[in-house]
Amino acid sequence: MRFDYFFEPISVDECAQLLDEYGPDAKLLAGGTDLVVKMRNRLLRPKVLVSLNQLPELARVYKYDDGIKIGAMARLMDLSKSPLLTGPWEVVKRGAGHVSSTQVRNIATIGGNTCNASPSADTIPGLMVLDAVATIRGPKGEREVPLEKFFKGPSQTALERGEFLLGCTIEKFPAGNGTAYKKYAIRGDTDIAIIGVATRLQVDAEGVVTDARFVVGAVAPVPLRIPDVEKLLIGHKLTDELAVSVGKAAADCIKPISDARATADYRKEMVRVWTKHVLKEAYGKAIQQ
Amino acid sequence: MRTAEAVTINISFTVNGAPYTIDIEPYKTVLEVLRDDLQLTGAKQGCEDGNCGACTIIINGKAVKCCSILIGQARDAKILTIEGLEGENGLHPIQQAFIDHFAIQCGFCTPGMIMIAKAVLDENPHASEEDIREAMHGNLCRCTGYVKIIEAVEAARDHILAGR
Repeated sequence: MRFDYFFEPISVDECAQLLDEYGPDAKLLAGGTDLVVKMRNRLLRPKVLVSLNQLPELARVYKYDDGIKIGAMARLMDLSKSPLLTGPWEVVKRGAGHVSSTQVRNIATIGGNTCNASPSADTIPGLMVLDAVATIRGPKGEREVPLEKFFKGPSQTALERGEFLLGCTIEKFPAGNGTAYKKYAIRGDTDIAIIGVATRLQVDAEGVVTDARFVVGAVAPVPLRIPDVEKLLIGHKLTDELAVSVGKAAADCIKPISDARATADYRKEMVRVWTKHVLKEAYGKAIQQ
Repeated sequence: MRTAEAVTINISFTVNGAPYTIDIEPYKTVLEVLRDDLQLTGAKQGCEDGNCGACTIIINGKAVKCCSILIGQARDAKILTIEGLEGENGLHPIQQAFIDHFAIQCGFCTPGMIMIAKAVLDENPHASEEDIREAMHGNLCRCTGYVKIIEAVEAARDHILAGR
């Protein structure tokens, strides 16, 4: 897995210059847990590696008046234990905690998990139900893209030549919001998700759902938001019957593939089951918060 | 900005307390440098895919799978490998517990198992069986069935706590 140049920029500006210069010949190195394995397996053969590991400012996670900002280099283990991720934001913690093993979480980053753009990435459904917005740096400065529009296909993102992810922003949510993410895999978290389901439910004082987000991982080329499922929830209190029928509807909305991990039918069946569970969990939190 | 226009990068780190400054090809992994350049073959080359955990070492206090970490990521790092565990008074309690509890069969996974166990107990000296299993699920053993390994780690935990 040889490459020609290894750069370790010590400022975001330098990093932007390097990516501008080398364009598609360059790959960014964050934690490396996906990149190094892909390079060894010759799925990727970059000529230039640009390491983000000398840019501690990209690892910052901090609250501001209207929400929270998560730097691209924040390690998943740190996020999975972060005291800042409270209330509905807890779903980010949950997603990060489900990624692979202790050792991988210790070094893998949220930016890496995002830009790797795997349809089964555990951190993404949670970020998407929180309407997270990606901050992208490029040759012409910064721009923002809702995470929902960031993914274009497996390993394909909205990042254009010379662009890289600085982090993402999540806004505050009013009281009455509850979230949940559940991953289903055969061998626990070390395994890649067969499916992952995340939801956010917002309820009014009577417990009627007034807003909803519903995102499923590993059933489409990208983490999939399903507005048709969200519509079934809005205007209702979540009863057991509704959770069951929405689970069925979610399974009917997706067209997953069969692969080494599961058949398409099994994925649909598991989405049906786990949808029910995440809805109940998120609703339980929403009516308490 | 540090660049490697030439074939190698210059990098400093410590391994088991010993300082190293080396010129090294940046496409080498930490595992390759440890095994091939420093002749520290305790960390094993297993799946090379980040799955099996046989290459687990501790970098800056955190357990990592060093088969998928490039040497450039270890700049100024404090690296601890299985070779650094034995103290003046002999084996580390986790090493001794693995022997006493028959937690080793072929031994290939053992260095990784012991390093992840050390990281777990360093962070949480009172780790429960469940905590230990959760933290160690990224390490595969094809011989023991894990029961003896978990018993050994729990025994080491109790031994370390009793010695405080």
